[in-house]
Amino acid sequence: MNIHTYEKLWLIAAMVLIVGFIATITYGSVALGITMVGDQEDTIEPRELSEDDRFGEPRVEQVGENEYEAYVVARTFMFQPDPIEIPENSEVTFYVTARDVIHSFSVAGTNINTMAIPGEIATMTAEFDEPGEYGIVCNEYCGSGHHNMEGELHVLPEDEFDLTELSVEADDEVALEDDDEVTLEIAVENGQLEDLETTIEAEIGDETFTEDVTVEGDSTYETTVSVDAADLGEGDHDWSVTVDDYEESGTVTVVDQLEDDGGDDDE
Amino acid sequence: MSESRNAYIDAFPAEAKVVRAAFYSSFLALALGGVFGIIQTLHRTDVFRFIDSTDYYTVLTAHGVFLVISFTIFFLVGIFTWAITTSLDRSVKDIRFTWGWYSLMAIGITLTGVAILAGFTDSIDMSADVLFTFYAPLQGHPLFYIGLVLFIVGTWLAGADWFRTWWAWKQENPDERIPLPTFMVLTTMLMWYIATLGVAASVLLFLLPWSLGLIETVNPLLTRTLFWFFGHPIVYFWLMPAYMMWYIMLPKVSGGKLFSDPLARVVFVLFLILSVPTGIHHQYLDPGIAEGFKFIAMTNTMFLLLPSLLTAFTVVASMEHGARQRGGEGYFGWLKALPWRDPVFTGMALAGLMFAAAGFSGMINAGMNINYLVHNTFWVVGHFHLTVGTAVALTFMAVTYWFLPQVTGKALWNRSVALGQVVLWFLGMTFMSNAMHRGGLLGIPRRTAEPQYDGFEFEASVGSVAELDAQIALGGILLTLSLVLFFANVIGTALNGRSDTLPDNSYAETLSGPEDAPKVLDNLKLWTIIAIILVIFAYTFPLLSIIDRGGLFGPDINPFPVSIETIPMLAMALEGYTTAAVASAGEFAQATLLGVIR
Repeated sequence: MNIHTYEKLWLIAAMVLIVGFIATITYGSVALGITMVGDQEDTIEPRELSEDDRFGEPRVEQVGENEYEAYVVARTFMFQPDPIEIPENSEVTFYVTARDVIHSFSVAGTNINTMAIPGEIATMTAEFDEPGEYGIVCNEYCGSGHHNMEGELHVLPEDEFDLTELSVEADDEVALEDDDEVTLEIAVENGQLEDLETTIEAEIGDETFTEDVTVEGDSTYETTVSVDAADLGEGDHDWSVTVDDYEESGTVTVVDQLEDDGGDDDE
Repeated sequence: MSESRNAYIDAFPAEAKVVRAAFYSSFLALALGGVFGIIQTLHRTDVFRFIDSTDYYTVLTAHGVFLVISFTIFFLVGIFTWAITTSLDRSVKDIRFTWGWYSLMAIGITLTGVAILAGFTDSIDMSADVLFTFYAPLQGHPLFYIGLVLFIVGTWLAGADWFRTWWAWKQENPDERIPLPTFMVLTTMLMWYIATLGVAASVLLFLLPWSLGLIETVNPLLTRTLFWFFGHPIVYFWLMPAYMMWYIMLPKVSGGKLFSDPLARVVFVLFLILSVPTGIHHQYLDPGIAEGFKFIAMTNTMFLLLPSLLTAFTVVASMEHGARQRGGEGYFGWLKALPWRDPVFTGMALAGLMFAAAGFSGMINAGMNINYLVHNTFWVVGHFHLTVGTAVALTFMAVTYWFLPQVTGKALWNRSVALGQVVLWFLGMTFMSNAMHRGGLLGIPRRTAEPQYDGFEFEASVGSVAELDAQIALGGILLTLSLVLFFANVIGTALNGRSDTLPDNSYAETLSGPEDAPKVLDNLKLWTIIAIILVIFAYTFPLLSIIDRGGLFGPDINPFPVSIETIPMLAMALEGYTTAAVASAGEFAQATLLGVIR
């Protein structure tokens, strides 16, 4: 075949360029260990996400000293959780799946970008060195509300970040006649691995309680505070529980006797 | 008088009618696509919004399907019919068959178009707001899929028409090399037959039965992968007619000859071999496909740069040859000797220039790792408005100024308007695509009605998002003006009287002819077998793995009727959200224990 000299040179230069591109990408994935979205995770039933250990409650979880995992569900037309909160100086692995149609999970202006396909779980790991706020968009058309699908990723300063969760259970109504107590069952969950030193402050009517506690890493501290219903007297009484920046509050009603006693079994 | 004229319509009056019909179908699609394009541009940039944002996706579907399916492919069948008949110098075997495939394509795209446009009105319970990619579980009306099937079957029959015309010629000319234009048509069609197997499987086995309610579910990853099996090679189906024009028309209008016939054949063989086993590069970010498979697609894609780089050389070399024939001198001085006042030349040259830029943004898209930065962002939209939107569309419009007189027998209405038109397209696309590329780097997504969000703003390090929007809107307006000028010329030419002074129907001669090309290049069987082997190599394991993971019919999941109103849909989502929240609260303790699964 008759090929002009210049054309031969051009051909060689083109091949060098192509091989060079392939080489840089190979170097990135083999030598630098950049993992890309692949088939690392097993499939999942999109209809059963709410019963799933990871995606039943989309959340961020600490798994190592500076290592976190975020379980994210994309669905028409929102991301869960929203916002995703993580601390600075952390390495976060995102696990992303979709509930209904194909979406994407794309942190604007970064290379954190993956498809979210029903039945499949995408994973990718990223490092966050500095605090900041990022927008999350769905960049795969997912239906008529596609443009409303957005979320936020907050990288918080270390001292502002926690995985504390406060929950309180209390009765709505307490009866005087049974000498009952108004009881708050308080649970403080520490999702982080290091201990959480904090103070539980509770208030029922005018009564206050304070307890300094140490909640061990990845565990829940439970405590109960109570006041005799008689001390509060008949009527509505507000209560509240505060741990760090978290607050739960409600109202308990002390009545003379419960209307629907339901108990014929008083011997 | 008419004996002295030797235009296409004089030699092939029956075929000229079909080519003309194909061109007019193509231009109708271009007009519709253009109208939807400007609506979209102004809506997205928030310059002027007069439709509801939920209707934006109907507009977008229509813009995509009309432009990349009907505009491009109708034009392709027009010039391929011209190329076969002209280069073999013989009529098609049976003109009724030719009209048959044309009609099938026209009926098909009409059905699809009706299904899409019905999405604008609630009074008809029909819609297909699924965009050009129609990813399940988004579901369109069955008519949408049926129309697509008919259209594609029409293109298959068109290919059969060209093959049998060539076969008849070959019986009479057993020792001759396949003429270059015919060679280009045949290799492109072979590639198309292989490529369309993917979309045929996706639509006929899964999406159509599913939209008719015959099967309950589909595997979203499987149908998506089958789409891209077809969805990447289709870009070469758009591009190959433009390449053909650059090889066989551009040298001629430059005043010279094609630099090398053998390398032109090599280029088309490479496209036949490498176009299909690359589709997974659109799925670099898809979970459920192993990195190794993506790597194979990436390697094939990179090698696919070779035929385009070769084309760049040949095209520029041919232009230079033409310029020197016209008296051009010096290292770069020859550029001045090119026929810049000829809209056919200038349009193609500017299209080629834009394609060079598109090649570079394409290389970035093809890079598996850097793709994460740009995937599905506005960058990609910028990229394909340079490729199909300029390299292809501008070439088509430019050669229309040569072809229209050939197939109508009438002189072009106005050459100056034509020149203004191609330059205006180039300018408009420069503004628009450059701003789209930059917007993509900021993370602005593609395919969205309102890329303005409540919780955050895109931050530009240079300029601002408002400036990008202004450039896109300006670009869109210039492109629309350019289209108006184009249609003025098409209509003006159609209304013109018969002309007796048309140029002869011909294409470029070659400096290095087919006698320099090894005979093996013409062995279409060999290249087809190699292409099929590469496809099997690139796709068997990914497809088996996807089916093995997710099942042939996928997980239990509802089709998504995108035609229903937003409000009930949001209510449904909210309801789902609260139910899930309540259900999951109780499981939280358990979940935290089991949650650490890598």
